Amino acid sequence: MTRATYAELLNLLAGIALVAAVLTLWRRKLVAIVRLLAVQGAAVAATGLVIGIDRASVSAIVLATLAFALKAGVIPLVLLRLVRRGPDARETQPLVNVSASLVAAALLIALAFASTSAVVSLSSGPESRVIPLGFAIVLVGFFSLATRGKAPSQLVGFLLFENGVALVAVLAAAGVSVVVELGVALDVLLAVLVLQVLTARMQDKFGSLDLDQLQELHD
Amino acid sequence: MSVTRAAVPILQVVLVVVAGPLLIGVIRKVRARLEGRVGAPIHQPLRDLRKLLTKERLLPEHASWVFALAPAVLVSSAVATAALVPLVSTVSPFAHVSDLVTITALLLLGTVALALGALDPGTAFGGMGSSREMTIAALTEPTLLLSIAAISILAGTTNLPAVVASTLHRPEAVISIGYLLAIVALAIATLAESARLPVDNPNTHLELTMVHEAMVLEYAGPDLALVESGSSIRLAIFLGLLANLLVPWGIATTPSVARLALGTLAFVGKISLLAILLGVFEVFTAKIRLFRVPELLALSLVLSFLAVIIAVVHR
Amino acid sequence: MSFAEISLVAALATGAAAIAAALAIGEPRRRTLLTGVLTAGCGAGGLLAAMGVLATGRPVEAEFPHLLPFAGLSFRLDAFGAVFVLVAGGGASAAALYGISYTRDHLSGRSFQALVPAFVLTLLLVPAANSMSTFLMLWELMAVTSLLLVLAEQRRSPNAREAAMWYGVMTHLGFIALLLMFSLLAAHAADGSFAAIRHTSSTMAPALRSLVFLLALVGFGSKAGMVPLHAWLPRAHPEAPSHVSALMSAVMVNLGIYGLVRVGFGLLGGGPSWWWLVLLALGAVSALFGILHALASTDLKRMLAYSTTENMGLVLVGVAAAGLFTSTGHPVLAAAALGAVLLHVINHAAFKGLLFLAAGSVVRGTGERDLDQLGGLMRRMPVTGAMFTLGAVAITALPPLNGFMSEWLLLQSLIHGAQSHVVAVAVAVPVAIAVLALTTGLTAATFVKATGTGFLALPRTRAAEDAEESPRSMLLGMGVLAGACVFLAIAVGVLAGGLARAIAAVGGVTSPAPFRVHGTTVSLPWQIVGTSVVLGVAVVVGVVAISVALRVLPRGARRRRTENWGCGRTQQTARMEYTASSFAEPLVRVFDDVLHPELDIDVTHREESQYYVESISLQRGIKDAFEERVYRPVLGGVAAWGRWARQIQNGSVHRYLAYGFVALVLLLVAIR
Repeated sequence: MTRATYAELLNLLAGIALVAAVLTLWRRKLVAIVRLLAVQGAAVAATGLVIGIDRASVSAIVLATLAFALKAGVIPLVLLRLVRRGPDARETQPLVNVSASLVAAALLIALAFASTSAVVSLSSGPESRVIPLGFAIVLVGFFSLATRGKAPSQLVGFLLFENGVALVAVLAAAGVSVVVELGVALDVLLAVLVLQVLTARMQDKFGSLDLDQLQELHD
Repeated sequence: MSVTRAAVPILQVVLVVVAGPLLIGVIRKVRARLEGRVGAPIHQPLRDLRKLLTKERLLPEHASWVFALAPAVLVSSAVATAALVPLVSTVSPFAHVSDLVTITALLLLGTVALALGALDPGTAFGGMGSSREMTIAALTEPTLLLSIAAISILAGTTNLPAVVASTLHRPEAVISIGYLLAIVALAIATLAESARLPVDNPNTHLELTMVHEAMVLEYAGPDLALVESGSSIRLAIFLGLLANLLVPWGIATTPSVARLALGTLAFVGKISLLAILLGVFEVFTAKIRLFRVPELLALSLVLSFLAVIIAVVHR
Repeated sequence: MSFAEISLVAALATGAAAIAAALAIGEPRRRTLLTGVLTAGCGAGGLLAAMGVLATGRPVEAEFPHLLPFAGLSFRLDAFGAVFVLVAGGGASAAALYGISYTRDHLSGRSFQALVPAFVLTLLLVPAANSMSTFLMLWELMAVTSLLLVLAEQRRSPNAREAAMWYGVMTHLGFIALLLMFSLLAAHAADGSFAAIRHTSSTMAPALRSLVFLLALVGFGSKAGMVPLHAWLPRAHPEAPSHVSALMSAVMVNLGIYGLVRVGFGLLGGGPSWWWLVLLALGAVSALFGILHALASTDLKRMLAYSTTENMGLVLVGVAAAGLFTSTGHPVLAAAALGAVLLHVINHAAFKGLLFLAAGSVVRGTGERDLDQLGGLMRRMPVTGAMFTLGAVAITALPPLNGFMSEWLLLQSLIHGAQSHVVAVAVAVPVAIAVLALTTGLTAATFVKATGTGFLALPRTRAAEDAEESPRSMLLGMGVLAGACVFLAIAVGVLAGGLARAIAAVGGVTSPAPFRVHGTTVSLPWQIVGTSVVLGVAVVVGVVAISVALRVLPRGARRRRTENWGCGRTQQTARMEYTASSFAEPLVRVFDDVLHPELDIDVTHREESQYYVESISLQRGIKDAFEERVYRPVLGGVAAWGRWARQIQNGSVHRYLAYGFVALVLLLVAIR
């Protein structure tokens, strides 16, 4: 593929990932949020795939396909099962209201672009110009992690954050080594499974997934 | 200046005045068919307008000149916008003042006029519609201006015919994420400004769910015809603008009669397609609660802001 | 002597004559008439002088080295100052004409009548000051005269005294900042004249320059109503008599902008980007804060005062943009931004002055300031209503009126500035555009609310029902400003050359004209983008054409007056109308995290049983967030410190003598 198409494709996929991340701040239904996470994971994995195809590196392509299966398939499925368990875990309860969190997301995106400008000017390849988008996903994911009320949506925030980090890594190194990426992916899978079990226990114990309830433990 | 060039604004105005109600007719027909009804013929809104023009003119007893002038201001500003926007051709005597910011301001003029006219009779529903409409308009302005900024930055100018011409030369520039985000944000703003679902239901008969319809409850006869016509012209302009920003194929770049005819056909075809899509979309969408509308508009603001940032960084 | 010099001298002489007339004439009616006419003449003279300077670009200079001890007075009216004198002169003429009948009844006393021309004279002279002492002296005179004018209605209004106190304290805090700033500048220069300061300011250390800029921000920003130093504006402007409010809101706040640009660009010669980013942030916050409080406010004059904060915030954003563009090397954009700023200053003076005068007319005609108690005034006060509507359309930046042009220019310069390669600019500019757009939308909502609930539909109270239209001189004053709005909308090209000269006179911004004018089209110097007056005119023509065409219809010749349909119910009463608070409620709800509206519901039960309710009262209010979070703790801290410091005074004579002795010893040690 030509340089221009390659650059545009990277931009497009990273942009879709970022828009999906922003949309998770807007939607209220947990099922919809998990689906958006799946879309986002697919876009991030597809970025890796495109980079692998461009460099004609088999290991990168295999890795990207694995990541796709994981981020767009396994993890969302696990989360959906979790969400469908609890009767009241249908809607999120953000600490910051929706409009305010959207405005905050806009400001965080501006911050991401402002602060990664130095990084972008380091290298001249098309990958480095997409790094600000990845960094914006990191910030939005962190914000989501910090301001969501129910456990599944916090999980989603964490996963968004992780996807953002993966995207930045893939772009910065233009193909991370197989071992590192595999290790990170397995770590994440483990974390999700553990968190799923914990959340299920929370659900059974308290009857709800409201994280404010956790403060009751303190007393 | 050739005769054909001078005729372009007149052609565009006549086209939107006729095509506006027809668009409404198409949307209603599509909805009817999908809902299993036969539906009224497509030119029914035109017949309604003709019927309204023959009726008596009424003025509520407590209203002042503001109520009487509001429909005229709405139609006048809409027609002025139609003369400016490159719908059929990018060459026109007004091409050098056809500016995205100006067009936003002209459309806001129409909104403000109608909102003031709604407050004049002093009915509760008029106040309610006016209040809601101004809420939506206030929150849509940033989206409109930021999407315009994004498109202008990508095209290098705020002059509309120049933007459309540059997209004609490089159609692949449209596929970039910045441009697409700006168009999506603009589409959401279009739905809000034209009072379509999911922001406002144009077919509701429950006054408490109305926004635009509540503002025009007191208008009758020729005044109502003006209001309906003005709203349909605005919808036609928005759809035409979206179509020409995305796919400007067919628009006339030279003022020859053949090119203008092709441009007219292309314009009619494009907005009919968009109207059909809008009709289908409306069948599958419900109106969202009034207090969720700001969230939707905040989302479109974030999307358009993102579009500007991407446009700035990737120039 | 040139035309400008003659006009200026004539203006000063007429102003002095006005003061003399106010003090000398015994009969109140004749006093108000003569003072008003003479003040209007003073204003007109200033206007002509400013036009003369703007037309030629040649400054008017005068030196009086022995008039003041130590420093003398030094004046130099260049093209940049002339813009502000233009605004002051025009505003003063209109306000003075208005004041002839407005003050006829209860404000016709000698002191008040003499203070108004004094205030006008200081407004005309501050932009002409050319040395530190002249500037500070005139600034203080301006503050003192306006303070006394705010106190004028203290017998009728209980809030006037508190408002005056806030105003007095804050304006003097600003004065101290300015004194420090000028001292720093003058200490580094040969003497206190602006020319000497300009000469040596570039050799000052960067930290010192930044300190000077920050002090300028505090001093001039508080005068312009910049957040967080704005608290005096919504208190003082509404309490003053309406023509004085118009002068304060439309003319005096501009002098804050004048000072900031003069110091930031002229005396300091521009600075690093972070100055302008700070200013941009403060301007954006002021704009949003101002318009949100205007939206939530139901007091007509308070709403207009908050709207002034908003407009000054927008102007500060423009100044910041100009500074950013200069410091990052885009002189053409900087000139456009500064041109937009100056044009907005002129436009704002016209429509804000008009709105305040119309509000004063309403207050005089009905005795009410609260929009929730008004309504239906368009019937009883048609001219005032039409004027207010005109002002509302102008302030919302809608074509065909003048606000549109300055807003368009500002947006264009920002949109093109977003293409800069400097990251700070590229990220800050979209934020500025978003804020500008949001304030435009909110202004539209605010003024639809004000016009709609105040003037349209049915009167809500007896006071509104019995409203009477204002006397002729008040209508004339309003008409002058309305005419200015229309003139500025149509003939903005007339100003193009003058604005270019004004920008050149500032220094620190080097570039050709901010915009070009071809016939009726205004276009930008770097591309073929323009906007035309023809559009606005076309809309007006269209409205007229449609109205005429309607009469041609078969049954369209007459309109029949009938009851409202109102969804099938009869008997429209005023209780069914939306009030100003209910109109603004959805938007206030959207922004309730910012505004924090408070709701107090008080239910009184009957004695016999808790189940019967005697009365329910509801109070809704919005407190100023800055006052709660910033002012209150600071004032509390100052009060606490004061209480602690009272320990010094414990009444013992020995201790006081000891203080004197210790001070003497320390002084001797230090002098050694």
